Amino acid sequence: MDLTGEFEARSYGGGATREATRLESLHLGDEFRQLALPPENAGGFTALLELPPTQAVNLLRFTDSPSSSSQAAAVTGIAPPPPHSYGTLTFPSNSVLMDRAARFSTEHHQNGNVSGTSSVPSNSSVKTEPAETDSSQAVNNRSGKRKDSDKKAKSWTKKNKSSEENENLPYVHVRARRGQATDSHSLAERARREKINARMKLLQELVPGCDKIQGTALVLDEIINHVQSLQRQVEMLSIRLASVNPRIDFNLDTILASENGSLMDGSFNGTAMQVVWPHQVTETEQSYHHRQLQQPQQWPFDGLNQRAWGKEEDQDHGQ
Amino acid sequence: MQPTSSMKEEFLQKWQMGLQIYRPLIDNTSVSERRKAIKLSADVAMASLRRGTTCWSRALIQKTATEDNFLVRQMLSGIKAETLINKKLPKVMCHRKIVRRSKKILRRRKSRSAIEEVAAKARKLVKKKTQGLRNVVPGGEFMSNDVLLIQETLDYIVSLQTQVNVMRSIVDAAEAGSERTAYYLGKPKFAIEDG
Repeated sequence: MDLTGEFEARSYGGGATREATRLESLHLGDEFRQLALPPENAGGFTALLELPPTQAVNLLRFTDSPSSSSQAAAVTGIAPPPPHSYGTLTFPSNSVLMDRAARFSTEHHQNGNVSGTSSVPSNSSVKTEPAETDSSQAVNNRSGKRKDSDKKAKSWTKKNKSSEENENLPYVHVRARRGQATDSHSLAERARREKINARMKLLQELVPGCDKIQGTALVLDEIINHVQSLQRQVEMLSIRLASVNPRIDFNLDTILASENGSLMDGSFNGTAMQVVWPHQVTETEQSYHHRQLQQPQQWPFDGLNQRAWGKEEDQDHGQ
Repeated sequence: MQPTSSMKEEFLQKWQMGLQIYRPLIDNTSVSERRKAIKLSADVAMASLRRGTTCWSRALIQKTATEDNFLVRQMLSGIKAETLINKKLPKVMCHRKIVRRSKKILRRRKSRSAIEEVAAKARKLVKKKTQGLRNVVPGGEFMSNDVLLIQETLDYIVSLQTQVNVMRSIVDAAEAGSERTAYYLGKPKFAIEDG
């Protein structure tokens, strides 16, 4: 493979201080050929190497050796370092993941990875600043084939070099760690497992009492129980709410409504006044919040009472 | 990610909007009807907060659409309502059964070792649990991979938390309000609840 030959030469020349083992995944030209025929993995990123191997290799070279960054940029038209846009498509939980990823990747890179210097700033900038991306056009054109889940998922691999991860990018560069298998399938599986583990950690933090538990199955058990208990709580609350006797001519409601109307902002005021069934609910809701904030309730508001009641009726009829 | 106050406010507004639709029926309905209305409008409000970006929200909206189409249409304004209600969810279930059966057939050839067996059992357990999770999360059956499932669960838990918080504060306030009414009107509390 002349491809691999040239690649090896350049990379060894450029990154002399880098550990040789890190190159395991990189000098496999046939690996790229394999990956170039995309098996549609659920959640796998191997689906995505749709770039011809040369471009992929060039991109890798770019991220590896800072000296060739300008070259690579010229070759592939990437502006170094390419931050990328998340847009509004970012899955809500991904933002948390991204912060963690930034933290982790910077930590790892500080462990003496020379080539990391070029990718560290790009990495953290990539992961913490949503900015306009300028990745290669060829890459963007092929992004149409990606699954939605891949679009939303970030590539989150430790010790990573690639700053290309992007919601539009179809693939992720993963470097094999020392002593691990480097064929495409295990790489894909490993990335997938890491994704799952990262998200499981988030879940563990969210669900109370899950941090102490070891083992996926028990954690999943806890999560299921938590979700079920929340759903049951919703049921109970709706039953309680339904059994509260709805009262229409209720002075206190309107008193509270008027008081809250004056205190809360305008948008909320409107909805508070539009009385809902059971309508003491809405107004007492805000009153409840306010009660928490300011203790003494002011009861005798009869004048306001009349006005509030009138307002209510107007809005009701206007509905 | 914890529920934010803006999420709570938005949920409350949408929920109120949904409850308004039931307003004409307020007097001649039983407790169970009211409960159903409350729950449905709360669910749709919660799901609409995500504006169709998440799988569980779409599945939840479709589920409530089967029970009360009108409510859903009113609560979701715009094109979203039509697309969400009419779209058929992809049926991944049947594929999985076939895959499972074929895996069983293939598995007979595999060699056994102690470590492998333990690992296999652990994997089976985890698979069972993920299946249980799919049953709990709305739309879980249609999530093709585990990564998506866990993402959706995260989001779903956060939304459920907001829903519970808002509903609880409302219920507490309402019950406190009705208690106070009883007090101020001088009636004993139990006489009031004739609903």
